[in-house]
Amino acid sequence: MAEKHPEKLTVIRCPICEAVNVDYGGSIRCHRCDSRIYREPRYGLGRTWALLITAMIFYLPANLYPVLQVKNIFGGHTSNTIIGGIILLWDQGSYPVALIILVASVFVPVLKFVLLLYLLISVRYPVSESKALRHKLYYLTEIIGPWSMVDVFVVSILTGLVKFDRFKVLAGSGATAFVLMVFFTMLAALSFDPRLIREYPRKRSPKKEKDV
Amino acid sequence: MAQHAQYEEELERYVICPRCNTLHQKIPLPPGKRAVCKYCGTILYRYDPRYLDRALSLAITGLILFVVANLFPLIQIDLLGNEQHMNILEVISQLLESGYYIVAIGVMFMVLIIPAMVIADYIALIVLMRLRKGEALTRDLLVLLSHLIPWSMVDIFAVSILVALVKLTGEVRIHFGVSFWALLLYVGIDLYLTKARRIGTLWELRNRIYHG
Ligand SMILES: [Zn+2]
Repeated sequence: MAEKHPEKLTVIRCPICEAVNVDYGGSIRCHRCDSRIYREPRYGLGRTWALLITAMIFYLPANLYPVLQVKNIFGGHTSNTIIGGIILLWDQGSYPVALIILVASVFVPVLKFVLLLYLLISVRYPVSESKALRHKLYYLTEIIGPWSMVDVFVVSILTGLVKFDRFKVLAGSGATAFVLMVFFTMLAALSFDPRLIREYPRKRSPKKEKDV
Repeated sequence: MAQHAQYEEELERYVICPRCNTLHQKIPLPPGKRAVCKYCGTILYRYDPRYLDRALSLAITGLILFVVANLFPLIQIDLLGNEQHMNILEVISQLLESGYYIVAIGVMFMVLIIPAMVIADYIALIVLMRLRKGEALTRDLLVLLSHLIPWSMVDIFAVSILVALVKLTGEVRIHFGVSFWALLLYVGIDLYLTKARRIGTLWELRNRIYHG
């Protein structure tokens, strides 16, 4: 297992152009696209932490404040939080759509927080021995992240579409918090340095047998 | 730096799996075939000699479709004889009008500006590569493309339209505009060009074009 696993070789994949680079340590630039591959490790981690915590703070108002308001001609006014909207859809019998929104808006952000927290903790403390697992988790967060925008887009579309004199849909302050949450979560995931995944445990890998 | 340069050609013969981070040595492929990771089955690269021609016609088609999608209404609804319609621009203006600036800016960037930049970048890139000109510029365009792609969310927006319509069923009559079908086709092309084909493939094509 030890010999087969390429993490033992000091090579790294450029996050921008996917080229294989020799990891000389310190701050290196990709030989193919010249992007900086590695920042200062502590700074990189600190920035990801800051972005992630900001995103997690926005998650609260995003779920507690209404994302959608409906106004009608008689002065009637109802507003819905994300969860409220999901319950409404469920009651109407639109089960698949209710589930899509539940997964995309409520579970995906939490899953992404948990994954990033896990990655951040596991590069510092040897929580898990499996680097392969950490790589798969990181890959997963990149794929699912943007889907949490579904509910914001739905609210925006309804705002743009339902603007009758007697019946109007407006966004709510929860939608603003939600956009900011997605924005900061994505920045956190993008700022996460993939090389940090291999940093711990701190045994310096032995010099590779043959140059790649 | 000079000592690093000697590895570059050698490094081009390797590829790291984006999903499980394992190192693989590339092998020559017959046209139309693809190489997959032996650990997790993810597609690593393909040999597709006619990709540039196909990508150029698809990208130009995509641009036309995106323009059409923004010129006419995507969806039209009818409530007791009152008609309303929306497209991306109307969604943004309605959000601005109701004071949801952050949501408006989010939609504007993720669904309008960045997708437009992606397609313009892509077309410029392929034209330059086919003319075998502007090697340095193609590098910058490819790096920019990598930074833009994660923020382009028209695919998610298209799914959101369908979700929004489910919320409206029963209350209004719904008509799909020509722009809606244009948007769906655009999404298909965008997914093919930016998600199905890895950015590393374009870098390899670029290498082959400018360096034999
Ligand atoms: Zn690179």
